[in-house]
Amino acid sequence: MAVSGSGPEAAKEHPEAFVAAMRELTRRYPARRGALLPILTALQARRGHLATGDLRLAAELTGLSPAEVFSIATFYTMYRLQPAGRFPIGVCRNISCWVNGSERLVATIRDELAIGPGERTADGAFSLAEVECLGSCENAPCLEIESRYFERVTPGRLRELLRELRESALDPDAAVAAAQRTR
Amino acid sequence: MEAYLSMEFGRREPLRLAEARSGGRYRTAQRVFETLKPEQVVEEVKNSGLRGRGGAWFPTGIKWSFMPREPKGPSYLVINADEGEPGTFKDRQIMEKDPHLLLEGILIACFAIRAETAFLYIRGEYRAAHDVLAEAIAELEQAGLLGDDVFGTRRRLRVILHRGAGAYICGEETALLNSLEGRRGEPRPKPPFPAVYGAFGRPTSVNNVETLANVPAILERGAAWYKTLGTALAPGNLLFGVSGAVERPGCYELPVGTTARELVEKHAGGVKGGGRMRAFVPGGASTGFLPPEKLDLAMDPEKLKKEGTMLGTGGIVVIPEELSLVDALRVFSRFFRHETCGQCSPCREGAAWSDQVIARFQRGQGRADDFTLLQDIMRGSRGRTICVFPEAFAGPLASAIQHFRPEFERRLEGAAAPGRPAHA
Repeated sequence: MAVSGSGPEAAKEHPEAFVAAMRELTRRYPARRGALLPILTALQARRGHLATGDLRLAAELTGLSPAEVFSIATFYTMYRLQPAGRFPIGVCRNISCWVNGSERLVATIRDELAIGPGERTADGAFSLAEVECLGSCENAPCLEIESRYFERVTPGRLRELLRELRESALDPDAAVAAAQRTR
Repeated sequence: MEAYLSMEFGRREPLRLAEARSGGRYRTAQRVFETLKPEQVVEEVKNSGLRGRGGAWFPTGIKWSFMPREPKGPSYLVINADEGEPGTFKDRQIMEKDPHLLLEGILIACFAIRAETAFLYIRGEYRAAHDVLAEAIAELEQAGLLGDDVFGTRRRLRVILHRGAGAYICGEETALLNSLEGRRGEPRPKPPFPAVYGAFGRPTSVNNVETLANVPAILERGAAWYKTLGTALAPGNLLFGVSGAVERPGCYELPVGTTARELVEKHAGGVKGGGRMRAFVPGGASTGFLPPEKLDLAMDPEKLKKEGTMLGTGGIVVIPEELSLVDALRVFSRFFRHETCGQCSPCREGAAWSDQVIARFQRGQGRADDFTLLQDIMRGSRGRTICVFPEAFAGPLASAIQHFRPEFERRLEGAAAPGRPAHA
């Protein structure tokens, strides 16, 4: 199975309060499994990807088998079963972004970081994916980092963004939020 | 023309509850809750002729009329905020700038279909919109407009905000229901339709964000007023998107039936840099490509259907002359290959196979019989699957070959590559 992680004990890695909040989520739905996607999203936010133990915990909380949770987690593109970079960059490759130069953004990342789509920098800071339409067509080209959008991005601004993120002392999500505000 | 959807789109920060209410927001919902019966609301919306803005244009009042009048157990409203059709960004504007316009529509819709729970399914990437909505819902709970005693009428209502996780197919309403239930986002065979067996097996109406945003104005000003806007068969304004190679890309609220030319040239300022247009997409990826000669077509579901295309979501994308239509088509064929859910073989195989063929053309290695092959793939997949995804991927394919065949012929094996002199 192509998942990483440290086995069933990973379920115990999460603080009691977090697990309780996840259990609470299952009560919002007519059936516990309704909370599966929100639980997987919350779990992924903790370590950047879903480890085996995370899938087992999600299974236990929703009453599903780990195999079914695995089948569902692999269906959705936002779930990662392998570690990505601390800053996983998604460049939109669909029509309006493509018309407005999204390929130049991918080329800029290749120049600056020596990675292509599906790859991660050796220091683990950045990874790159090409993603489908982000609904930001009027502000094309657009890229996202953990669903935080950067719009009308030029190669120059992208280089600044990479530098700013690399030098930031904040945790990754806060660093990205700060970078959004400076733009 | 008076806007009733996009009044707040110019704002930087979302319109908050206090300001929204002082401007009259929720007054209509309150009157509905206090003075009307659910069937009167359904009747008014039916009479207005409002049709679904998610792309299918199904009459909203009729959809609501399928919901049980004397339910034996809960009924649900599910809001489809899984906006993902390439070239479409209108629902996001509503949610990020004017969340209470949508939420007032939700309140009225829940009243009409006798639902006490609404699930708002928003695509995972719309994190900013999600956060705005979460705050707006909290404001309503605090103000007693959601909860156990809405407007003091003893009606219960809660809105559950639910984030998706990246899958275009979840915009299909039954795939969305499966996804909401924590399953793979695979469309369900129909019947049973959602009004009979929807979310968690209960009667459910699934409605698009912009559709619901139309509802407060209809109840406030009446069906007769609404029908003065748009076309006879598709009344109302539409949030048209114009993007791609234009001077002023944006979301423009205009009556259904406005021409593509008016949208592109007058509102969006024409092709970027005064350039020429190679093609335009009338209403999202699955509506395909039209040549600039078709710009005078009215953006109206019936007229576009006669042209072999659709109005879809009303998201126009302009392809400039310097880009190749073969390359533009590849953007879509790759997209559909990536997004097929894979449960029906004709779609899974057809989307992948047609993408391979288009990739071949892109490399200048198209084969003479590829045109027949593409027709065969479309014939072999359309109408043979659980949902209409093959119709969606066939849209750009069929229209590209119909209107731009010479471009593909120039990419046949042995033909000189475009843009490169033969002697190079």
